[in-house]
Amino acid sequence: MRSALRRIASLVIKEFIHLRRDWWLPAFMLLGGALELVLVGWATSRPMTNLPLMVLDRDRSATSRAFVVDLGNTGTFRAPEWVDDQAEIEAALLRGEINAAVILPRGFAEQVHSASGRPVVAVLLNGAESLPATAARRAIEGVARSWGDRIAVERVGLDSQQLESFFPSLRVWFNESLSEALYTTPAELGLMLEFTVLIFAALSISRERELGTLEQLLVMPFSSLEIIIGKAIPAMLIGFTDFLLMLGMVNMVFGVPVRGSLALLLILALGYVLVELSKGLAISVFARSQHQAFLLVMMVGMADFMFTGYAVPVETMPLILQKAANLVPAHHWLAILRGILLKASGIDVLWPHAAALVGLGLVIGGASLRYVRRALN
Amino acid sequence: MNPAEIAIRAERLAKQFGDFTAVNGVSFVVRSGEIFGFLGPNGSGKTTTIRMLLGLLKPSSGEVEVLGIQVVQDPAAIRPRVGYMSQQFSLYRDLTVEQNLRFYGTAYGLGSERLKERMGQAIEMAGLRGLERMITRDLSGGWRQRLALGATLLHDPSVLFLDEPTAGVDPLSRRAFWELLYELVERGVTVFVTTHYMDEAEHCHRLAFLQRGEIIAMGSPEEIKQDMMHGAVFEAAVSDSTRAYELLRERARMERLGIQSVELYGALLHIWLVDHAAGAEAIPAELAAAGLEVFDLRRIEPSLEDVFIACMRSGKPSR
Repeated sequence: MRSALRRIASLVIKEFIHLRRDWWLPAFMLLGGALELVLVGWATSRPMTNLPLMVLDRDRSATSRAFVVDLGNTGTFRAPEWVDDQAEIEAALLRGEINAAVILPRGFAEQVHSASGRPVVAVLLNGAESLPATAARRAIEGVARSWGDRIAVERVGLDSQQLESFFPSLRVWFNESLSEALYTTPAELGLMLEFTVLIFAALSISRERELGTLEQLLVMPFSSLEIIIGKAIPAMLIGFTDFLLMLGMVNMVFGVPVRGSLALLLILALGYVLVELSKGLAISVFARSQHQAFLLVMMVGMADFMFTGYAVPVETMPLILQKAANLVPAHHWLAILRGILLKASGIDVLWPHAAALVGLGLVIGGASLRYVRRALN
Repeated sequence: MNPAEIAIRAERLAKQFGDFTAVNGVSFVVRSGEIFGFLGPNGSGKTTTIRMLLGLLKPSSGEVEVLGIQVVQDPAAIRPRVGYMSQQFSLYRDLTVEQNLRFYGTAYGLGSERLKERMGQAIEMAGLRGLERMITRDLSGGWRQRLALGATLLHDPSVLFLDEPTAGVDPLSRRAFWELLYELVERGVTVFVTTHYMDEAEHCHRLAFLQRGEIIAMGSPEEIKQDMMHGAVFEAAVSDSTRAYELLRERARMERLGIQSVELYGALLHIWLVDHAAGAEAIPAELAAAGLEVFDLRRIEPSLEDVFIACMRSGKPSR
């Protein structure tokens, strides 16, 4: 037993010497992760503003200009570019220079002010970039609706105080300002942990195979389990350090709170690290080279990414994918991460995800352990 | 033979990869304290055999016994008692000389006192004193090879497996390497070595010639030369050796003049004749008829290279 521990220690020390010599990988994982977080956090820290807008005003009236001024006041658009020809709008849309264009037809003011007029504006959106297009549509529809209300009030001859539109009363929980950063940075943080652990684990054995040292390791008195443990410890330490660093950063730089129990978060993070570790080691013995291992990590990571709810909420996916999401450890991990960080959820709420993580961990970990041991023997 | 004197015994050892037979039922015995050479062209099954002997590869059939241990059943049991240098450089290039040795020694369970002592010996042996902190990548080929040998010897293995240990190493370093092997054998270590260098093969106590997964000759270098070479080898100096070579190859193909094979050695020809008396006279005549002048023709002791090439060309097992 003592000699087994000494053998494992010798492997762990060797792995850390590799990391110190080949500082590129750890540096990339630590700094690259931080950089990614800064970029994502910063880029998504504000709602969509400053969208380019083109206006073709055929009416050239005070009313039509007032409509455009109202569009500007939504804050969604930057100062509109006025053009004289519809061809210019089409060209700009083709070149992708604008997200939206508004055409005010001749007689717009007349239609607004006459008792039975039907004012119309034409809106062109760049659907190739659907997110800004949606934001532009919302802003324009909002302005049109308030104009509609105002016209209706005037035509009926009511005092504007007398007509109260129907508005839902909003109250946002957990992320009061609906800040994108509070949603994206925890997701990014969770994913970076997955990628760090996966890559380190996946490269650990495939590197030895590629360099021809694995053969040597196998004729030495290491048992397959000792090799696995010796390879797992450094990947775990690196992954966990990375996680703590990034957690500190999102907390201090982006004000992402840790409302729940930090201890619970760390324990569940450790469990999650073990699951990803076993996936990484399985990839590592499956791949014939570091190159292959890296590409496999990318493939697995990208698939997991879909189920984290980062790009598309899992709830809006087709039913079969929603079911499949339950089998993806990263899905549960992100639910736990968001729950503890933003909602102060405890284990009483998170237990289904924690149980799923443990269950998946046992299945994936067990299968991986068997597979890796078989491959190494 | 006394079982204690047997270091390795392979019994009808075979390995198939799908339809391909890499090793086809080889049997041999390596005695304790000898250098046993495994010779064969690339792809003849040398590495596959060595990997089966080490328990890295499960044989399709047959038995392997190393130091009295059944390797297939209990590969872990032989590990502390054998050393292995694979074809690829088996140390970590990004570790220093010292770090590599320390990793090896600790993995084999050497205590710190013993480790220090053995590391010192290994560094001394490899001639790396003063270079302990050098990154292994920066060492020259010969040094690396000796360091790798030193590392595999840290735990005092009884049997050493070397897979083409001197591939890509300069002649002087190769000689130094073989001197180390002789020292080891004097201390009672058994060495199993694969190579395709003929001069190295001459240094082995016993040899096996491997071709397409089968042993086609086995014995001491002298025995192999006697067994395999019926007839005699002549060395000829000719005015145009290339033309003479082509001409004699043609005769050999037509099975005339009793020529078994002809090889070029620089500007000289090595001609292997079945019946030396008849051929020795007929050959100068034949060459003269083609307008070639023979400066010198003498019978020589065949080198292992002659035998090796002759065996490979005929491709027939000798017994």
